[in-house]
This record gives sequence, structure tokens and C-alpha cells, in this order.
Amino acid sequence: MHSRRLFLKNSALAMFGIGAAPGWLARAVYAQDGAPQRKRILIVIFQRGAVDGLNVVVPHAEPSYYAMRPTIAIARPGADDASAIDLDGRFGLHPSLRDLKPLWDRGEFAIIEAVGSPDPTRSHFDAQDYMESGTPGVRTTPDGWLNRAMPREPHPSPARAVSLTPDLPRMLRGKNDALAVASIGDFRVRDPRAAAEFERVYGESEDRILNGTARETFEAVKLMQSFEGSAYTPANGANYPEGRLGRSLQQIARMIKADVGLEVAFTDIGGWDTHVNEAGQLANLLRDFGAALAAFSQDMGDQMADITLVTMSEFGRTVKENGNRGTDHGHANVMFALGGRIRGGKVYGQWPGLGREHLYEERDLNVTTDFRTVLAEIVSTQLGNRQIGAVFPSFTPTKFLGIV
Amino acid sequence: MLLSTVVLVTVAGGAGIKRINANANPPAYAAFSRMLNGDDRIVHALDRLTFGARPEDSDALNRTGLNRWIELQLNPDRVAEDPVLTERLRVLDASQPTADDRAAAKIIADKLAQEKLLRAIYSNRQLEELLVDFWFNHFNVNLNKGRDRYFTAAYEREAIRPYVFAKFYDLLLATAKSPAMLFYLDNWQSVAPRPTRANATPKRGLNENYGRELLELHTLGVDGGYTQQDVIEVARCFTGWTITKGRPLSQSATAASDDGQFAYNDKVHDKGQKLVLGHVIPAGGGMNDGLMVLDILAHHPSTARFISLKLAQRFVADDPPPSLVNRMAETFLKTHGDLRQVMRIMLDSGEFWSEGAYRAKVKTPLEIVASAARATGAQIDSADALAREVQRLGEPLYRKVEPTGYSTASADWVSSAGLLERMNFAVALAHNRVPGVTVSAADWERLGAPEFQRH
Repeated sequence: MHSRRLFLKNSALAMFGIGAAPGWLARAVYAQDGAPQRKRILIVIFQRGAVDGLNVVVPHAEPSYYAMRPTIAIARPGADDASAIDLDGRFGLHPSLRDLKPLWDRGEFAIIEAVGSPDPTRSHFDAQDYMESGTPGVRTTPDGWLNRAMPREPHPSPARAVSLTPDLPRMLRGKNDALAVASIGDFRVRDPRAAAEFERVYGESEDRILNGTARETFEAVKLMQSFEGSAYTPANGANYPEGRLGRSLQQIARMIKADVGLEVAFTDIGGWDTHVNEAGQLANLLRDFGAALAAFSQDMGDQMADITLVTMSEFGRTVKENGNRGTDHGHANVMFALGGRIRGGKVYGQWPGLGREHLYEERDLNVTTDFRTVLAEIVSTQLGNRQIGAVFPSFTPTKFLGIV
Repeated sequence: MLLSTVVLVTVAGGAGIKRINANANPPAYAAFSRMLNGDDRIVHALDRLTFGARPEDSDALNRTGLNRWIELQLNPDRVAEDPVLTERLRVLDASQPTADDRAAAKIIADKLAQEKLLRAIYSNRQLEELLVDFWFNHFNVNLNKGRDRYFTAAYEREAIRPYVFAKFYDLLLATAKSPAMLFYLDNWQSVAPRPTRANATPKRGLNENYGRELLELHTLGVDGGYTQQDVIEVARCFTGWTITKGRPLSQSATAASDDGQFAYNDKVHDKGQKLVLGHVIPAGGGMNDGLMVLDILAHHPSTARFISLKLAQRFVADDPPPSLVNRMAETFLKTHGDLRQVMRIMLDSGEFWSEGAYRAKVKTPLEIVASAARATGAQIDSADALAREVQRLGEPLYRKVEPTGYSTASADWVSSAGLLERMNFAVALAHNRVPGVTVSAADWERLGAPEFQRH
């Protein structure tokens, strides 16, 4: 950290001159001599394609679960390695999520059941759009809830909000600057002469969208370059799995440790649309998913105290398996919340039950908690933004569940 | 101040579709009433109706005359194909693997992407190539999904390409019967649920995947006025639309083999009566059930509007004026979905030739790569590396996982990572560091500039 501080101090002078360093950089340079101003960080992971929550967190005490899923149900805990890992006598983790059990036991991993959108759509596209805009049923919302969730800040770091995706997701679009960084190593113009020329040309361009994106991009490039060259070894023996989610979380870890001013991060992972032969696909996806979350938590160590990580997916899947050993589009789903401040080791939310009379449209798990209630609690506690009406317009959350 | 910049990104079309009722345009569309003139019209035609202008294109277009050129582009059989392209495609085709292992599958995939780029860069039938890309994307399938690696080439060649200026119904039917779509959206194994004995192993049953996307993405649009029950009824109508075992022997040998072909299996068809969008589909209709559904959908006003809007979003602006979309939709209905006529109405419109449309779109990755190659007069010995560039920029060809296809909305293609990759591509191309591609003029400043990102 010491050499980095020196670097920052020098580059601040080189980039901006004395007295002209932007606020975030000044803080990064000068605040470090005293107690570091540790910001709380929120990480959102979107599981695109509608993950089958009922096979992720298995309601193993429900006889109807086993009746309606004769070939794809996860066995009750205790049978063998392929059976659910019991959590509280009612619910169990999919066996591929074994790596998350220690986090549960330590109380750093909470599960929210029967959570979802009040909008009835079973369209992937619409449901994702609503979950990202934070305004179910309203398609004209121009920005995303995660962007609105960031409190106003006069001089934010250019890497305050980062999406580890090639394009900026809907959730992070809006008036606060946000970066799309597919990979830190590639986040630059490789030819220095071209970099300087493009920075000038885009800076002078009257194309507002391209000009604005380019400005924030070039600032962020300098910031990322300040630590990108050094090798990265995850701490505490953490071992990230191969695959995109592992890579994304590792890069988020790097940025946090490099103190770039990250407050909000996003990444997504697809492949959950298991209409056919669900069992094998889901097991593979979850193995990577659990291993990546566990590795990140291990890598961050004590710093998890500042971090909350939340997972979401557009809707759940039918309670009854379909004709192809898969499941079709459903309604309510499950969310995860991880972090040092999470009151984990508990399944939150009101479980509506799987009896036919309790199902949504006689086929799907009913929504008993609006996804915005969960996010509102996390936004207000983690980002310190209590203007929930601005984050989720025309929505009044019910009583917070007490996850944080 | 460096950090005070606020980026305004409008998500026009981000949610896909807006309801359009107005006959007159609201004031926000004023720029679509200001007409382009002279050279700007030439620039605009080449921007929007080709994969980017080549140095010689503007003069050639002036000689041909704008109206005649457009009519030729609408009738590609009257346009002689570039012999360079014909030769390139022949060479590419000759390198076709006959081995039927998994390595061959990857070669098939790479060749498809190369073919797409070669056509985009060299073809004289530019509008046809744009539309093949548009309609493939509209009826997206993913080459990485199982047997689709063997089906996708034939899909584009036989279910998409022949129909881009045909009746929408014919295009819809060709996709509905294609092994690629039947596999991609799981319909091939959707069968009528049969009553089973209490403790029997469950038989296969209904799969809603195709039924839903057929309504939401292929025809009516998500606001097109259908219910969950309609999805189920449509899925019932298509039970038995399936694929024969095996797979086509090679890309061009589909006709020679019965393997991996469309088949209707009456034994697994749901024989009962169905009710689709208020239409009774009588019991015992067999394969005709699905055909009736396609007929209802292809002539539905919601389909006319949805298809017109999507075309206008690609060719005019992210948020095209309602006046234009309405006229296109009327034409669609009047001509029973004649896609050439719908295109012609759009290309005859004042809105298309307006300031509102001029340079209003940000190029997609395929468009940026193809237009850079065309602008530099690049000589292409292999398009393999160009295909990888398209992928790096965020648009892996033939590999979009979701059935929505890729977005054509500008806001979806402007991001920090994407911008840097565009700049890097400009430098690499101009310095001849894209393998297999040679350019003579090293004009990276132009290719990476803000102006070049738009069309």
C-alpha cells in the first residue's frame, strides 16, 4: 500500500497539478496518513435466465416439492452427497453450494425466500428490465435503481461504480457516472500516442454521449493503470474458480484492495434458463457460483465487514417440473445476501407454501416479499441512502426484514 | 472541471417497445420533419443501408442515382454480385470439414462468422446482407447450444436469407419448421401430456419455451395482447413439431440426408381443441394447428406494429416517430406482411431522409468492424481475426445466448470498455495488426474518432 500511496501522490501531481487534484484523488492520497475512510461497498450479482430457486434452496420439508418434481427434486438431507445440505430443518442448500455452508454457519450468509416482483410477466427481458430499473410495470424509467441508490457526491471517484461486463447494465445507467470494465488488464488504449490523441478528440467532441463516456473512461484508465501492472495473489489462500463470475469477483477484490474508491459493483452470470435436463446444468452452474462467492469472501477477509453482496434473478421457475426434466418460467424466487454486516444463518421472508391453493396462478411460488423491500434495506444501511422514494419511485417498502 | 461531467444516456428502446397510438408526432420528433439535402442524402443512404461507405461508393451512387440504387437494393437479384466475394465464399466453402467430430463443429462456427463478415464487407447486395443480419437476430438461435452448431448454417441459408424481402408469414413458417429453432427453443421435445399411472415414470410433456418467445419476440411483442393461457395453448398447437435423429452431414448437404430434418410426429401431438387469442383451433387439426397459429400471428395488428417498430429502430432512429411506424404497420397489414413493401414505405418516407435520422445511431460491433474494413479498402485474406474483434467488442456472432438477439439501441453499445476496445481496434487495423487483413492507409485517427462510431 505504501508504494501505491507514493504513486498516487506523484500521479496526482502529474495528472492534475498542485491544488487541482479531484476530490476522490485528494482523499486517496491525503486521507491515508490518518485513519483510512473506509467506504461501505455494495456488490450486486444478477443471475440472468431465471434461476430455479426451489432447487437452489430446497424446501425439503415440503412433501409437495417432491411430489411435483419426481425426477429433478434434490433429495432430503442426509441421504448422500447428492442430497440437500440442511440449514434449519426446513430448507437446505443444493449440494453444489457446499462452499457456502461455512459462511452460513458463521452468520455471514442470509437467504431471502419467496421474494420477487409484483409484476406478473414471465418474459425474461421484461422481468430483468423491471428488476434493473426498479420500477416493475413501468418501462419508461430511464435509469437503473443501483445508479439512483448512490448518494450524491460532488467529486466521486471515476471508479465509484463499476460493472464487470462489456456493456453498462440497465441497473447502473443514470446520472451518476458508472464504468463498464470487462477486464482491468485490457482497460486502456494500448498505443500511448493514440490514447493521448483520442482523449483530446473525444474531449473536444460535441457528441454528448460519446464525449461524456470518453471523459470518465480516460480518468478511470489512469486510476486502473496505477495498480494493474502488479501481480495479484488472492489473500488467505482463496481460490477463485475458472469462469466469468470468479474472474469478475477477483477483479472487484483487486479494485477494493487498491482503494480506487469503489462503492458499487455489478456483475452478471447467465445460463440459468433450464427448460430441459435441469439437474446437471444447475449443478455445474451452482458449483462455480458457490465457489466464486466463497473465494471472494475468503479473499476479502476482514474487509467483508464493509461489504454486502446480494444476488438476484428475474423470476423463479415452475414448482412442477415440465415434460423435459426441466422447469418453465415461474414467479417468486430466492435471493442471497452475504457480508460481514449481514445477520446471516437465517432464512428470511414469509414462506407461502407449495400446496396448490398457495401457488401463484396454481403453478408458481407466490411472492411474499417485494424485491425492492430487500434492496431498500440494503441500500439504506449499506450505502447510507435513506431516500428510498427516489431509489424506488412510487414504492413504499414494508417493514424491513432485518437482514442487515 | 474534469469530474463534473454528467453522462446522459437515454434508454430509448431499452425496454424494447413503446406503445404508439398517435397519428401526429409529438414535438419531440421535430427533427424528423427537417429534410436532409444533397450530399447528406448520399452519406445517409450509405450509412444506413450499407455496412459503411467505401471510398468509391459515393461517386458510384451519384452516377446510379439515389432512387434507382435503392430500388436495386430492394431487388438484390438484379444486382450482380462482386466476383471477389463469390470467389472468397467458394474458397471458404471448399475448406469445409467432412469429419464429423467436435473439432469440425468449431470450424463450422468460425466459418459462419467469417462468411458473415466477408458478405458484409464485399457484397454488392448490402441491404440484403443487413436484413439477413437483422432477421437472424430477430429470430435468434445460439450456435453454442447443442445440436444447433450443426443446424445454424442451414438455418441462415434456408430459413432466413430467402425470405428477407418475402412475406412475413413465409419467414415465420421457415423459422418455425427449422431444426435450429426447434432445438434452440426446445419445441422439438414438447409433447402432449399424457395421463400416467400413479407411480409410472413421468412421460415427456409440454414445453412452453417456443410458444412464449413466438408471441413475445417473433410476432406480437410483449405488449401485443396475449396471456399466459395463450402461451400454453400455442405450445399445445406445436406439440409434435420436431426434428429427426442425427444431424445434417455437412453445411451444404442438408438436402441429401434425412438426418436432423424437420418432422411432424402426430403421435405426440395434443389432439384436443385449443383457443388462441380468441380463435378456436378445432380438435384433430394435426400439424395444421401450428400453421393456423402462424397464420393468425403473421396477420395480427400487433405483429404489424412490432415488426415495423423494430425495422424503424434499426434503420431510422432508436425512438422512431410514431407517424412512420404507423404507416409501415398499415402497409404491413394491407400487403399481408410483404416485407419489401414495408421497407419501401420506410425508405420513401420523409422521416428516413431527415435530420432526426441522420447519424442518429451508434454502430454495433459488427457494423463498426465491417465499416472500418470498407472505409480502408482493406484486403482480407482471412476474416477470422475480424470475427474475433466483433466478439471482443461485445457481439459474438451466432452466439447470443438469449432469444432476444442483440440490441440495436445506441445506448446499449456505448460503454467505457466498449469505447476503449473500439479505439484499440482502430489502431490495430490501421497498423496492420489484425491478422489476415491488410490496409494501405494508416488512418487510425479517423477510425477511432467519435464521428466514425455513428452512422
